[in-house]
Amino acid sequence: MSAGIMLAGAAGALALSAVAGLFLPRLWLGATVAGLAAAFWAGAAVLAGGAPWEWRGGFQVGGFAPHLQLDGLGALFLVLLAVVGACGAVYSRGYWPDQAHPRSARVGRVWWSVHVMSLGMVLLSANGLLFLVAWELFAVSGYFLVTLERQRAQARAAGWLYLAVSHVSALCLFAFFGILAARTGSWELGPMRDQPGLAPLFWLALFAFGIKAGVFPLHIWLPSAHSSAPSHVSAIMSGVSIKIGVYGILRFGGWLAVPDSAGWIVAVLGVVSAVLGVAFALGQHDLKRLLAYHSVENIGIILVGVGFAMIAAGQGDAPWGRLALAGALLHVWNHGLFKSLLFLGAGSVLHATGEREMSRLGGLWRLMPWTASLFALGAVAISGLPPLNGFVSEWLVYIGLFDASVARGAAAFASVSAIVLLALTGAMALACFTKACGVSFLGSPRSESAARAHESGPLMLGPMLALGCLCAAIGLAPVLFWPAIDRAACAWNPAWVAMGAPASLAAIGASNIALALACLAAAALLWRRVTRVGMRRAVTWDCGYAAPTARMQYTAGSFAGIITEWFAWIMDPQVQRDCPDEPFPSHASYEEHTPEVVLERVVEPAGALTMRLYAAARQLQHGRLQAYLFYIVIGLAALAAIAVMGGGR
Amino acid sequence: MIGSVNLLIGLAMGLNLMALGSSRLPSVIRAMAVQGVALGLLPLLMSEHFELLVALAAVGTVIIKGFVIPHLLRRAMRAANIDREVEPLVGYVPSLLLGAAGTIAAVAVTYRLPLLPEHAHTLLVPGSLATIFTGFILLICRVKAISQVCGYLILENGIYLFGLLLIRSTPFLVESGILLDLTVGVFVIGIIADRIQRAFDSLDTRKLTVLRE
Repeated sequence: MSAGIMLAGAAGALALSAVAGLFLPRLWLGATVAGLAAAFWAGAAVLAGGAPWEWRGGFQVGGFAPHLQLDGLGALFLVLLAVVGACGAVYSRGYWPDQAHPRSARVGRVWWSVHVMSLGMVLLSANGLLFLVAWELFAVSGYFLVTLERQRAQARAAGWLYLAVSHVSALCLFAFFGILAARTGSWELGPMRDQPGLAPLFWLALFAFGIKAGVFPLHIWLPSAHSSAPSHVSAIMSGVSIKIGVYGILRFGGWLAVPDSAGWIVAVLGVVSAVLGVAFALGQHDLKRLLAYHSVENIGIILVGVGFAMIAAGQGDAPWGRLALAGALLHVWNHGLFKSLLFLGAGSVLHATGEREMSRLGGLWRLMPWTASLFALGAVAISGLPPLNGFVSEWLVYIGLFDASVARGAAAFASVSAIVLLALTGAMALACFTKACGVSFLGSPRSESAARAHESGPLMLGPMLALGCLCAAIGLAPVLFWPAIDRAACAWNPAWVAMGAPASLAAIGASNIALALACLAAAALLWRRVTRVGMRRAVTWDCGYAAPTARMQYTAGSFAGIITEWFAWIMDPQVQRDCPDEPFPSHASYEEHTPEVVLERVVEPAGALTMRLYAAARQLQHGRLQAYLFYIVIGLAALAAIAVMGGGR
Repeated sequence: MIGSVNLLIGLAMGLNLMALGSSRLPSVIRAMAVQGVALGLLPLLMSEHFELLVALAAVGTVIIKGFVIPHLLRRAMRAANIDREVEPLVGYVPSLLLGAAGTIAAVAVTYRLPLLPEHAHTLLVPGSLATIFTGFILLICRVKAISQVCGYLILENGIYLFGLLLIRSTPFLVESGILLDLTVGVFVIGIIADRIQRAFDSLDTRKLTVLRE
């Protein structure tokens, strides 16, 4: 069946679900999943080799003819949207039920449908006005999803910040599309690389889409929005919504001519986001905020690939650029899958214990084995360890960079430093997830609520299991997914023709399978020994101390302390300590807090300064007529002076 | 003929200074009225041969600026029962000096303007600029509503003087429309001044700041 019919069906089903969400939760779930399945089908058909789909409305809506299109690049993101959207919808039935949230559950279902539909619309738009309408709808529906729990002041503040920053982004996009339309004479979008005069517009697009993607200095909205939203919303925001920013950068970096330095800037932004994202993640004590900072890190990895692809495109389509781009595109999928899995896992923990603070969790492994295992699977994947998918995509980025480093020129030096910093990022990500998993799931419970945790139901575990299986599938058989990635890469740069998977990818797949089998065999062997010999449980050796408590375990802060000290120059951790000093100290305390550096040290002071300037300017409006007339005279005199000075011309 | 035009404009410029230096409202109104009459006669002197429309406009201007508007203002003044500007924002001597400096500056600036040769030797442009400036000084430095109306009318005289540069291309209808606007404006201000007096027990426009948002 053609992509067009499936997309029309998807739109119809999602529109139905937006209405059904108010009254009929079961119909809502069915319609959402069916609509997203149809969208998945359409995207997969295009990725599997079908012709790009295009549709022009023969009628005018508000002065422009709608123009939709779905090529390989859009299809890649559409498929991810369908998977994460459907998983999140199923999960929300268990996580955010009507019984617990009578009002916000209904509202949340409707906005979920609108959000998913507007995301799809952004991906399909080939008309500037349509794009802006869809973009605005996407931003606003995201706001309502973030503030579902609006009785909490924290969620309201996060939503407000999200809305404000989203609109800075939207404003830049208005300028971008407006100037584009003024220069080209129409709102139609499409390949226009032959107009080098449009190249400076790329900076505007990079800023606007960079805000959405959460690139490092522009990420200020991301940690609070992702941690304050309900977990299924965090999953789709982190898994898909921020990828739309990457889509925008790729889409307009591919359609428009770009400045020569564009690739370098994107790559530098990527490296900075990757390293600082993971450093800030290490400093977090809130599980969801930690995951949010990992989104910044992974967007950084993606942008490194995109940046080097753009550098390569500027140097006569060097083949290493294609590998870097393929790695970035595959990482878009992978991050969407494992980050949704991790956010859903964090949601299960939150649902079971009511705690997001890692220092109050612990020992959950025994109470929620499925959640713990699936979270650990996601952690292995996001840390870029074999045999899972994160390893495959990072591998592709790495071999692109390695090939670049043996080529001549400036790209070689840049790629070597990028490799070193990406390796640092990977190591720190592993440390960070060791901390997150270890502190949350291992050891013994640190609080009452953690001790009373319970395993989640099938509605919540099912979507996590599906996402976990997809992570494993991409990791074990990457060659199967190569044609889809390659088609998206060819849609980005029309000069490329389809090519087969690089030989190393097949080798990676085979070694991943072997590694997985070896791990399974080792696990089976261990299990047999344990069951045959039997296990003896005992207290951890406590150095002879008589009264150990659960609070004496490693905390999230102490585990990451050494690494966060390296980054104290930017993270500026706030420590309040009350050290024990006497032989028998009566009390001691230690408190550590990592501020939002960019928000609290840069954006907020700048905002306060602006407000002070405006307040000072308001003094000019005091109601005294004589002074107003004086302003007019000053203005006239200035104009006259300009006219007289320039009168010679 | 240029001599008599310049003489009248010079008279108007002198009246500017008189309006600035006087503390009594009747003399400000008188200065403004005489200035209106002097400027109203200008079009008759400037046109080379007699034209009915120009003559009509001149007569209308003289009547309205010289007699109707001063009459309305005097009535408002009597109704409000004031005849003196008591505490100007800028004193009379400083405003006089300011006006004189403005007049000199106007003459100086005119030399730098790219004027048509037939206007270069008249006082039209410097007179107009100086009169506009005087109007602004009165508007800014005085606080009583009636002195401000006088300032506004002198400002309008300056604009009218500048408009004479275009006398041949300005339609009669526009001239008469401007005159009508002025008359109605002063009429309305006369009523408003009365109301302000009753509401605030003063014609001090600074008290109007309580009306702002």
